Amino acid sequence: MSAAATAQGPAQSPRGTTFTAATLLVPILLINAIGFMLPVANLAVISVSEIRSSGAMTGGWSIAKWTTVATDPFYWELLANTVRTSLIVTILTLIVSYPIALCLHRMNGAWKSILLVLVISPLLLSSVVRTYGWIAILSDRGLVNSALAALGAQEPFRLMFNLTGVMIGLTEILMPYMILALLAGFGRLDPRVEEAAATLGAPPYRVFWRVVLPLSLPGVALGSLLTFVLAISSFITPKLLGGGRVFLLATEVYDQAIVTLDWPLAATLSIIVLVVFGLALAVYTRILRQIG
Amino acid sequence: MPAEDHVSPVTKHNADETAAPDRFLSLQALTKRYGDTAAVDAVDLDVRKGEFLAMLGPSGCGKTTTLRMIAGLVPTTAGQIVVDGRDLTNVPPYQRDMGLVFQSYALFPHMSVAANVAFGLEMRGMAKADIRARVAEALQLVRLTGYEDRRPGQLSGGQQQRVALARALVIRPLILLLDEPLSNLDAKLREEMRNEIRDIQRRLGTTALFVTHDQDEALTMADRVVVMNKGRIEQTGTPEDLYERPRTAFVAAFVGRTNRFPGTGAGEVVHVGGVTMRCARPVSGPVEVMIRPHRIHLDGSGERRADDNHASGTIIRTTYAGNVVQYDVQAGDTVFNVEQSTDATGALVSVGTAVTLSWSVANTLVFEAAP
Repeated sequence: MSAAATAQGPAQSPRGTTFTAATLLVPILLINAIGFMLPVANLAVISVSEIRSSGAMTGGWSIAKWTTVATDPFYWELLANTVRTSLIVTILTLIVSYPIALCLHRMNGAWKSILLVLVISPLLLSSVVRTYGWIAILSDRGLVNSALAALGAQEPFRLMFNLTGVMIGLTEILMPYMILALLAGFGRLDPRVEEAAATLGAPPYRVFWRVVLPLSLPGVALGSLLTFVLAISSFITPKLLGGGRVFLLATEVYDQAIVTLDWPLAATLSIIVLVVFGLALAVYTRILRQIG
Repeated sequence: MPAEDHVSPVTKHNADETAAPDRFLSLQALTKRYGDTAAVDAVDLDVRKGEFLAMLGPSGCGKTTTLRMIAGLVPTTAGQIVVDGRDLTNVPPYQRDMGLVFQSYALFPHMSVAANVAFGLEMRGMAKADIRARVAEALQLVRLTGYEDRRPGQLSGGQQQRVALARALVIRPLILLLDEPLSNLDAKLREEMRNEIRDIQRRLGTTALFVTHDQDEALTMADRVVVMNKGRIEQTGTPEDLYERPRTAFVAAFVGRTNRFPGTGAGEVVHVGGVTMRCARPVSGPVEVMIRPHRIHLDGSGERRADDNHASGTIIRTTYAGNVVQYDVQAGDTVFNVEQSTDATGALVSVGTAVTLSWSVANTLVFEAAP
């Protein structure tokens, strides 16, 4: 390559690259604007709209819903309950998914592909169907309680229509997402590094705590973020397995919008969910910077 | 200096197998089988204390598997690994006290240089102050003082390899195991690290086992070299033994460059494609003849003895490589590769020139041809 060409190359390419990148971004920006930004702005508008008791909008403005949400302890409890439930579900999902992901990460060849497909296959079924599956397992005369009864249990355990059922169902339903995110984040795990730790005198459990776990933290963070966000926004599973006795933000949004027809309140709660997402993302970014 | 308290500072240079069989590391019929194929096939090997031993061979010859069995990372199929009189065959890797340096460095990417080096000492439950002192010592040994707080990712390849070396040495290992430690470095750095590893090993008197596929590395660094092929040891000896007195055709061809001709033995002489030459020992039937290119002289060059082998031929190619010139010489049906060191005053012999080649009988190596 001539000197002139090398000098020209870098001067020209950034401009071209920027232009190409911008062009490639246009479709997704359009979709995002129409499908996300606009509706969110619309939600904000609805949340400060005035309504009659019938649910019809008057065309006037009111911050009544915001003050209600801010002052009524019910909503604070609802928020706390939602965040706590989602956090517990996230931790449970992480605990049951981590060994599976680690095992998959270490496998090779055909078995890895087969098991990976098995892990992802639940996603082929809608979560409605899977939730009904859990009802069959967890109900008073379901699989678990029948088995316990056969073993001599007097009373059936209440495993559904309460928070326990919701958490069991959500944990299983969110596992594939967690496993995939963990696998994506396990890139820094190197068997040679684990071997190095072993030859330096670390027994297996110390290799895990000092090397495997720290190196897998990016995957743990990514999986936890994804699972937390999905748990907070999940609606069908809490609705069906909660049996109307479990109150979470997502189910409340549904009730207000569809049953009570209080759209401004539903919009207000939706925006609060969005704020929680934003906070979760901020925490994730911070954690990632610390472990990176 | 690490390792001085349990390793004798005496380094043995010339390996003489008959004198004082000091078996610090002893492999006895060590075997590793994967299914039907034996990666390592009944290898017997004794290593002296303080010795620097290289295991040389092509990829897949079993040298790395042998090393990994010694480290305890690969379970043995059969045989024994005995170190200092203690049978380590079934001891887990974390109780073996081996210092392993990997080709890929395998540093802990999430820890600082100091934490990497301190890891092995921490695992041994050493006091913080002692760890600090030993880490400083080890980093000084590999000339990385001042890099304590860097992360491995911020270091060059050579620096990372030196951290790996410090990390392996700081625990004062029974044996320092090096698995192709220089393969990922560029040529210049490789030469530098060769000397550095050798110097440190000599200074500490640590017994070291060095796995490599690079014959230069093996010859220049090791007290003794083990040449492996297809899971078996072909020959064990000093670098000079292997180069000058190869026991098999494989060793002759693998260690150093060589002309390799098929021939027919007829007592004291061998017929090679139209050229008849005398060889060091009587042979008969199909043989392989090997002559090192730089041991063949063109016309007047080198000393000439009456009983040297001769061949007349024509130069068909000249390759200038700076320190040497390589000539391809057609003699009869055979093309000899001849190598001569260059000289500022010497002129290259041009293609087409008729020349007489000569080489000594001692340099005419013959081996029974493989069936």
